[in-house]
Amino acid sequence: MVNALILIALGLGAAFLIGLLPSRWRGLAYAITLAALAAMAAIAGGWVWYFAMEGGQALEIHTAGTPPPFAVALHLGMAEAVLTLLVTVTSLLSAIYLKDTLHRLGRRAMAVLLILTMSLAGIILTRDLFNLYVFIELMVIATAGLVLLSASRFALGAGFKYLIISQLVSILMLIGLIFAYHATGTLNIDGMADAALITRQGGMLAFFLLFIAMLAELKPFPANGWALDLYESAHPAFSAILSSAIAGAAALYAVDKLLLIGGTEWLPVATAVGLTSFVAANLLALPQDKDRRLLGYSSIGQVGLILVVIGQQDILGDDYLFIAGGILLSHAVAKAGLFWLSGFIPEQGLSAWSVLRQRPLLLFGFVTFIAMLTGLPPFPGFYAKWELMGALADADRIGVMILLLFAALVEAAYLFRWFGYVIKREPNEGIAQPRPPLRKCLVVHSATAIGWGLAWVWGELSVHANLLHALPLLFALGFLLIEGLPAWLKNSVAIAGLLAWFWLSYPGYDPMQLIFGAVILVGGALILLASYHAHGKRIGFYPSAMLMYAGLAMLIVAETSFQFFAAWELLTIGSYFLILRGKHSEPHALSYLVFSLGGAFLILAGFSLAAQGADIFLVSALSELSEPLAPWIFALLAIGFMTKTAAIGLHIWLPGAHAEAETDVSPMVSGILLKAGVFGLITLALTMGKQQLFGIELTHVMLWIGALSALIGNLLAAFQEDAKRLLAYSSIGQMGYALFGIAMMNHLGLLMALMFVINHYIYKSMLFLSVGGIAKRTGTRDMYRMGGLITLMPLSFIAVLIGIIAVSGVPPLSGFGGRWITYNAIIDIETRLPLVILFLAGPIAFLYLFRLIHTIFLGQLKDEHRKLKEAPFWILLPQMIFVVCLMIFALVPGLALRHVDNYINQFYPGGGLDWAGLTITSQYGYWAPIPIMVVVGAIFATLFLWLVFVNRKAQKVKQFNIVFAAERPHRPETTHFAWNFFAPYRKALGFLTEPYVTRFWETISEALHSGADLTRRIYTGNGQTYAIHLLAFVVAVYLLGVGL
Amino acid sequence: MTPSSFEWIQIPYALLTLFIVVNFGMLLTALMQKIGARVGRRHGIPIWQNYADLIKNYALRTSITHGVMFYLGPVFRLSGGVGLLLFVPTIYGSVMFANFSFAGDLILALYFVFFGTLGMALGAGESGHPYSAIGITRGLSQVTAAELPFALAVFAIALQYQTLSITEIVAAQQGGVSNWTLFTNPLAVTAAMLGFLGSMMRPPFDVVLAPQEIPIGPPTEYHSSYLALMQTNRAIFPIAKIVVYMNLFFGGAASWPVFFFKVFCIYMVSVFVGVVFPRFRVEQSIRWFLVWAVPIGVAAILLV
Amino acid sequence: MMAEVAMATGFMLVLIGLYGALTNRNILRIIVSFTLATTGVNLVMVAVGYMHGRTAPILDEAVPAAEAVARIIDPLPQALVLTAIVIGLGVTTLMLAYAYKLHESKGSLDITKFTELKW
Repeated sequence: MVNALILIALGLGAAFLIGLLPSRWRGLAYAITLAALAAMAAIAGGWVWYFAMEGGQALEIHTAGTPPPFAVALHLGMAEAVLTLLVTVTSLLSAIYLKDTLHRLGRRAMAVLLILTMSLAGIILTRDLFNLYVFIELMVIATAGLVLLSASRFALGAGFKYLIISQLVSILMLIGLIFAYHATGTLNIDGMADAALITRQGGMLAFFLLFIAMLAELKPFPANGWALDLYESAHPAFSAILSSAIAGAAALYAVDKLLLIGGTEWLPVATAVGLTSFVAANLLALPQDKDRRLLGYSSIGQVGLILVVIGQQDILGDDYLFIAGGILLSHAVAKAGLFWLSGFIPEQGLSAWSVLRQRPLLLFGFVTFIAMLTGLPPFPGFYAKWELMGALADADRIGVMILLLFAALVEAAYLFRWFGYVIKREPNEGIAQPRPPLRKCLVVHSATAIGWGLAWVWGELSVHANLLHALPLLFALGFLLIEGLPAWLKNSVAIAGLLAWFWLSYPGYDPMQLIFGAVILVGGALILLASYHAHGKRIGFYPSAMLMYAGLAMLIVAETSFQFFAAWELLTIGSYFLILRGKHSEPHALSYLVFSLGGAFLILAGFSLAAQGADIFLVSALSELSEPLAPWIFALLAIGFMTKTAAIGLHIWLPGAHAEAETDVSPMVSGILLKAGVFGLITLALTMGKQQLFGIELTHVMLWIGALSALIGNLLAAFQEDAKRLLAYSSIGQMGYALFGIAMMNHLGLLMALMFVINHYIYKSMLFLSVGGIAKRTGTRDMYRMGGLITLMPLSFIAVLIGIIAVSGVPPLSGFGGRWITYNAIIDIETRLPLVILFLAGPIAFLYLFRLIHTIFLGQLKDEHRKLKEAPFWILLPQMIFVVCLMIFALVPGLALRHVDNYINQFYPGGGLDWAGLTITSQYGYWAPIPIMVVVGAIFATLFLWLVFVNRKAQKVKQFNIVFAAERPHRPETTHFAWNFFAPYRKALGFLTEPYVTRFWETISEALHSGADLTRRIYTGNGQTYAIHLLAFVVAVYLLGVGL
Repeated sequence: MTPSSFEWIQIPYALLTLFIVVNFGMLLTALMQKIGARVGRRHGIPIWQNYADLIKNYALRTSITHGVMFYLGPVFRLSGGVGLLLFVPTIYGSVMFANFSFAGDLILALYFVFFGTLGMALGAGESGHPYSAIGITRGLSQVTAAELPFALAVFAIALQYQTLSITEIVAAQQGGVSNWTLFTNPLAVTAAMLGFLGSMMRPPFDVVLAPQEIPIGPPTEYHSSYLALMQTNRAIFPIAKIVVYMNLFFGGAASWPVFFFKVFCIYMVSVFVGVVFPRFRVEQSIRWFLVWAVPIGVAAILLV
Repeated sequence: MMAEVAMATGFMLVLIGLYGALTNRNILRIIVSFTLATTGVNLVMVAVGYMHGRTAPILDEAVPAAEAVARIIDPLPQALVLTAIVIGLGVTTLMLAYAYKLHESKGSLDITKFTELKW
């Protein structure tokens, strides 16, 4: 264990030593700088090792051989060690990054960097208020100096604004300090806490001044215009230090220390200030289009979030450091990484970052950082978020929860919107591809590596399982390592992986899990067959797809709420990446992500409330919850799950996301991914059952939502011109049926939902593949541009034909089984009104289904399509397998359903089906799939043979040989009746399809954006205005904390 | 409930049912045409006209095809009609004329209606004639609204009798006219009969075929033996559909004479309305069903 | 009495300085205002540390170490003031250097001219 003073002395000494060197010896000066920083980092690392691995106890370090109050004391514990390590490593990496800049500016700049690092370590370590003041002033001076490292000509102005604010801060601090000393006779923080400063005369005011001065260093809203300017104009490597070391580590820890004096009564003030900053900064970042300023806003927000954690330490108990550390380190690493990355980007616009696409490793870093900031698994922020929400829910601090989740959602929205730009947009004309030196890249890569390392550490520290030990997730991440291999090879690995995991898990599944497991894993493998069609390496596809499958596979076996939520987030993020791959899917993928994360946050809130402070909460324990909390939890979870099933109101992401996705991705995200929501809803219904909120039965509300989804989904599908959008809307309708089934809360309702799970998987995957294959060949998805393709693409036609018969529920195919079970289920239902809507929705399916097959395959063939070939083999193959599956499932539905029917008995005893013999019998009716098939087949065959017999000489005629009012049609375009196919229907019921929901969400988004755009104009750029903001902030906090 | 199962003897029995119904249907549709004509002070067709048409169509020598689906369209259509007939017991209490009702219950009948419609629509679509497609869009649009009151009524009586088996529903209505659903659940029957009007291709809901505006709707391109098959269906299908109505709402039929009488009466309802009212456009008929028929159906399911 | 006057003067200076810093657009005037405010703070600190009737904290024959606690003024605030003055000097110098550079860049010392970075 090296003495803490040595660390400080090292920084100081090296700085002085550099000062003595001749200014020509820049190389040596730089070497000394690096060596000193490395040594400081090594010392801090040694401390962390000592505390973490050797179980060391925290130390008080006295200087001048005397305990306080007569001399300065330092404190060194786990927190200090980690933060010092963070500060020194950040400085070291930035120094490496800054090599050429430092060389240009010479030894003085290096010395200032050393001083800065030393002063930050000092701020973290010291327990003496005046000492703290000195270090802060050192930090200020060093900061004001290092701002000028930047090449930006605006840095000067920003630096000066910073100095103005610093002057104000030091005035506040000094006055507070002297009065605090006067009241207690000590400058030692612990001493002041013991002397109960705030109870003494004038002590409260003194503390307030100290506290507000330190808060101001955190750049709280609205007193933070100067900080934004600094972030925007400073050298990115310095902004990295500013964000992660100065604000993220040192200033926050100083506030934390001061709160030792303030005690618990000042914690709410910290919370309020933090919350305001977190919410406001993230909102104001929404309309921001400059990268570094955006990062600045995000930094302010993240620091605000950590301040909230600090403010909540009274309820966090032992988890305090785990949570605060998780968020803080995530923020620090990610933000430093992003700022370093921003140095590679030739322009400040967000779209300019698309140059990163050429550098996969840097892009991977970018994703890692964004995931860390948004608290996605498996990064520390995720564990921290989980624990934090649990604690807040346990302490009934619902308001804090809501605001945190809201702001976190906003943050995720703009960060992922940015990610979308990076993946999808093209940089402006003339932007040169950046060629950052290897050294700088290594700095970013090391941040990425540290991020993943922290993910592992936090997983180990967590009371829950380490996500990085989960085999499916590792499998998915493993694809990152083999990205260089050709796609077909990776595809084989992926298929093998899915099947192997199914094989391994199969014995452990109960019948319900088996259905979902089969759809997800076997079904996923089946769809992946179509991916053999892709050529090249398909970078990014397999990690994303496998991440989604990993999430899904983990979801269905999740036992605790944590596992469930982690799996949910994983599948969400994986599917987002997948959807984003589509050519025009950037806005749709974003909308998907925002809705999904919004839903995920509701689930998080629900589970947190449900756990009531328990570390481990079993999903099955949902059934033990009671009033008044239970209905709220039910509602939160249900809405969360319904974002995934795209229930009406939450559906606007689906059409675009599914339609714009790649050919083999659409079936995955439609046929498989939607089932995650169904699984969640089933779990919820089986555990929590019926809940009443304000006297309203929540399952009845779900019935309505399900029925309306079915109706509106079907209706909208009927009016689409785009084949994939049509299928996408149809999914909304189909999931509405499934939701309805679950909400019926009876045996057959559940069975019906499961039937829809299987059916929808098969036929929607099949249809999406067919349509995708056709779109590939024709080059369009607009159905009216197609027509008459039946003879050119007979196999695709067969797939679509079988598909639509199945979807429509016409016997003898399996869709009918779904309808039959539906009718049997609804007889027991209590609420009959939603049924009317469900009945109306049913026949509308015929409208869109007929349109789908007619306008693509029938009617008039277009001239430009005359030479089209059948869809590619690999896209057809799974379709043909689906046709077979559909037939088998139509003939022997019992194969899949009888076990689960039996299994459902334990939840809803009785009311099941009798599967004996060929006939499936319910309490009310019966259904014999095989005889139906035989009878229909026999009649059909007989009549067909009869027709062939009487009509054997039929002559095939050419396309235009039709009875056309004695005219001959000349163009297929004018003869193919396809566009606005159901015009009369639109006249009658079109008012139902007005995009009210879309408008609603757009209005909200628009209001947030324009509100933010208006508000951010308070940052006028004038240093004096910023000073007034600060004073106003001081007054406001005073009124809040001390009262009038 | 357990239905009876299959025996080979059922095949000739079913064929017998089919034979009776085809002939009855041929004569009945011609009769209805004639009645309609006489109301309009026209002479109308002879009662055997359908037979003549059938023979003529089969005898036509020219025969063309537009493709596989076009060829299969009429087969689908007629299979739909025959299937619907045979999945429903024709004569209550008769083993002979119970047909293949063991294969499925009311729901099967309800959904099998669409089998023929869908198949024929596909066949007509392949002809490439825009009038076919227009007729189909009209038909599909209209049926979504027209089926709704019927579906509600079916659900209402399923609730009322607590079964989906047609045989059991008929059984529950035995023992006097007052036991018919018509009297035990008049709302449901009213709703169903309004829906019935929409599915009989008669005014005011015959815009699908619309003999004046477009040549003849979906069957535009069909001729010769194709048309013959479709004509056969046009004889069977209304009867098959009316059988369902009769069984559900009007006590079923325990013998062929009762059967003939009841089918005639139910058919007459649509003819009666048809000769009185002019034709609706599609959006008008949709609104009409939603405004007038659906509320009655809703009342039926709420008041059961 | 002395202490109260000094403290009141100190606070006055702080307020005057702040007022000056917020109302003057000229950067040099702003810097001077801050110097004024810092001086006020130093005065306040000295005033707080002053104890009536005691002597300077120098241990010599006049104040033997044994009696020191009762007879000398607490030396700490004065040490603080000294440090604060030094730091204040540093910051002021830095600000002046900035002012010089700012003037060099735009030929103006009006703070409202340096608002390119905003929103």
